[in-house]
Amino acid sequence: MLSQIVSALAVVVVAVFACSAYFYFSNKILDLALPVKDGDIRAASRNLNRRALVRPWLFVGPALFLLIVYLVYPVVATFILSFYDRAGEQFVGVANYKWALGDREFRQSIFNNILWLAVVPAACTFFGLVIAVMTDRIWWGNIAKSIVFMPMAISFVGASVIWKFIYEYRGGNDVQIGLLNAIVQTFGGTPEVWISVPFWNNFFLMVILIWIQTGFAMVILSAALRGIPEETIEAAVIDGANGWQIFWRIMVPQVWGSIAVVWTTITILVLKVFDIVLTMTNGQWQSMVLANLMFNWLFRGGGDSGRSAVIAIIIMLAVTPIMVWNVRRANRELKGH
Amino acid sequence: MKKSFLMGVAVAALFAGAASAADLKFAPGQDSKFNWKSYDEFKAAHADLKGQPLTIFGPWRGEDEAFFMSVLAYFTEATGIEAKYSSSENYEQQIVIDTQAGSPPNIAVLPQPGLLADLASKGYLTPLGDENSKWIKDNYGAGDSWVGYGTYKGKDGKEAFYAFPYKADVKSLVWYVPENFEEAGYKIPTTMEELHALTDQIVKDGGVPWCIGLGSGGATGWPATDWVEDIMLRTQPPEAYDKWTTNELKFTDPAVIAAIDEFGKFAKNEKYVDGGVAAVASTDFRDSPKGLFAVPPKCYMHHQASFIPSFFPEGTKLGQDADFFYMPTFASHPELGKPVLGAGTLVSITKDSKAARAFIDFLKTPIAHEVWMAQSSFLTPYKGVGTEAYANPQMKKEGEILTSATTFRFDGSDLMPGKIGAGAFWTGMVDFVGGKSAQDAAGEIQSAWDGIK
Repeated sequence: MLSQIVSALAVVVVAVFACSAYFYFSNKILDLALPVKDGDIRAASRNLNRRALVRPWLFVGPALFLLIVYLVYPVVATFILSFYDRAGEQFVGVANYKWALGDREFRQSIFNNILWLAVVPAACTFFGLVIAVMTDRIWWGNIAKSIVFMPMAISFVGASVIWKFIYEYRGGNDVQIGLLNAIVQTFGGTPEVWISVPFWNNFFLMVILIWIQTGFAMVILSAALRGIPEETIEAAVIDGANGWQIFWRIMVPQVWGSIAVVWTTITILVLKVFDIVLTMTNGQWQSMVLANLMFNWLFRGGGDSGRSAVIAIIIMLAVTPIMVWNVRRANRELKGH
Repeated sequence: MKKSFLMGVAVAALFAGAASAADLKFAPGQDSKFNWKSYDEFKAAHADLKGQPLTIFGPWRGEDEAFFMSVLAYFTEATGIEAKYSSSENYEQQIVIDTQAGSPPNIAVLPQPGLLADLASKGYLTPLGDENSKWIKDNYGAGDSWVGYGTYKGKDGKEAFYAFPYKADVKSLVWYVPENFEEAGYKIPTTMEELHALTDQIVKDGGVPWCIGLGSGGATGWPATDWVEDIMLRTQPPEAYDKWTTNELKFTDPAVIAAIDEFGKFAKNEKYVDGGVAAVASTDFRDSPKGLFAVPPKCYMHHQASFIPSFFPEGTKLGQDADFFYMPTFASHPELGKPVLGAGTLVSITKDSKAARAFIDFLKTPIAHEVWMAQSSFLTPYKGVGTEAYANPQMKKEGEILTSATTFRFDGSDLMPGKIGAGAFWTGMVDFVGGKSAQDAAGEIQSAWDGIK
């Protein structure tokens, strides 16, 4: 343990030192290469301009380089790979894409992903907003918020394991140790194997992600609600608006930007959902989603890089518009709209 | 007691890598049931490898890992090679990641010839040479079959011997508790027809005949494939079985569908299985046999391979508290004889080195088998080992099934391409137990197979 801490600290120190050294020396070199001497005023001002042109790139350069190596290159490589066979050696044209369109499991995954997209971001945002509004009014609001926020600290796999116990099923006349089945049994119902009920098991898995992410939505929206000027609400009260109207007509429009941020962030997360499905069902009982399908094609039984690349590209294409929209909207907001 | 013993093994194994003179489970040269001569000869032949590193990746975890470490201790002791063993719950995926990432272990141990054939075709395995394949042929029971299961096409398209079989399992076994059978007056069935009759009889007496559990995390469904394979061998000639594993005989063939349906007769009957049909797919295969030992018994029979005693309750004495009988054949198919379905782990070199070669040589010494045999949960088709070393008469009986086998068939799902044998077949069986017809389930497996052609 101690050796890990020491080495981590050493890495941090070295990294900080290396970064400062890079910026210091690269600037030094730039200054030396384009000198600003007192004698030649024209040359000096030209060099000064050039320096101003180059310097930003010196600062952005390392980040840009890493971005290309770790983001652009993999995307391009994946795209190229999607036209090759399973070993990535023989060019097969669009055969892999054709396969994807005709594959039952692939269509199942697309359907399930859409289901996730329709439910999870909406549910998280809704619950987050409702909790944020309600906890503002009560004295134990902060305690409630902490409790709602706590699942955020749990890893997806950890959360899945917790929920596995909630959905646990014991056969026959055994005592049900699963919370859900215990409740069902108490009320006289028959216990079910929840995670193996086709179609509905998707929802049982979604609950886990909603449980984790509602805290995130709540925190962002709670902050946004605090930012609403008291005057607008007071004015509405004076005008005779009831609670419902204040919420929908005054509060929601004013935090609309934050709702969009929360919604899109969770949407992107949902498109990448993987850990929960892997831990709970691994895509069996028709609960497959794209990320797990890609993983299975890539790693299970020797693997098929072509088909998994196709699935990766499709996930990326699905995420891109949301990202673009999100970035654009953020830019607009920065400009003061 | 058992726990502290295991801990001892694990701890000993842990230190074996660091200090070469670590405790060996059985002191060399003492117990005469071990072939110490082979150990001494191996030691003399590989004395020049001291300090070399060797990484081994395998599927053995928990108890099995501790046993393997105790075997590995002898290897390190003899050669001075610094061997490290690691495993993963999802070892099938992990080995693909490791080989593709260009950082494979020296030795990969896998129970799936289909996956190994895949890795070989991509050039990730090193051929072991004719000398080794000839050795297997001469020294293993049904040696030809074993050589066949280790021979694949390489990247160059040429067939070569890539995988050395070490540790086998016999699958065609039905486990039961003799005491329960005695009390109820049940007899061991000798034909499949009798097995059906016994199943009905148990229900009539108010009991539940079977414990079936298909759960296995990401691999959920595989125990059902064993059932189907066993039934295939009991209803079809071995040639048809071979064709089935290569898809010459389609999954949608009536013979295969009939085999799946035959499994369904047991697993999809609410009264036949402990916990009802719904529990079949969700019960973990490791928990499933525990029903045999409940009082009163939750079930009377459990179809599972020879490794399953590792998951029996602590202190279970084989032969006394639990026993097995051979999964019977149909009286209506006398021409098929008594086929044995089995499986095993295969050792291949994923990164060649002198130490890796030495490890393969080590596996040819009887001592590498006997040390594990003496501790439990290890069978070998190696005819050169002293069967006296087996931990109990039951294992000896199973071991002799292997060494005397003439027709031995490897677990079919492990022979099929990974996408089928470690994917579509599992999912198909889960769907089948979940309510799909055998026709539909088989159709989906077949279309998955068509998809990878």
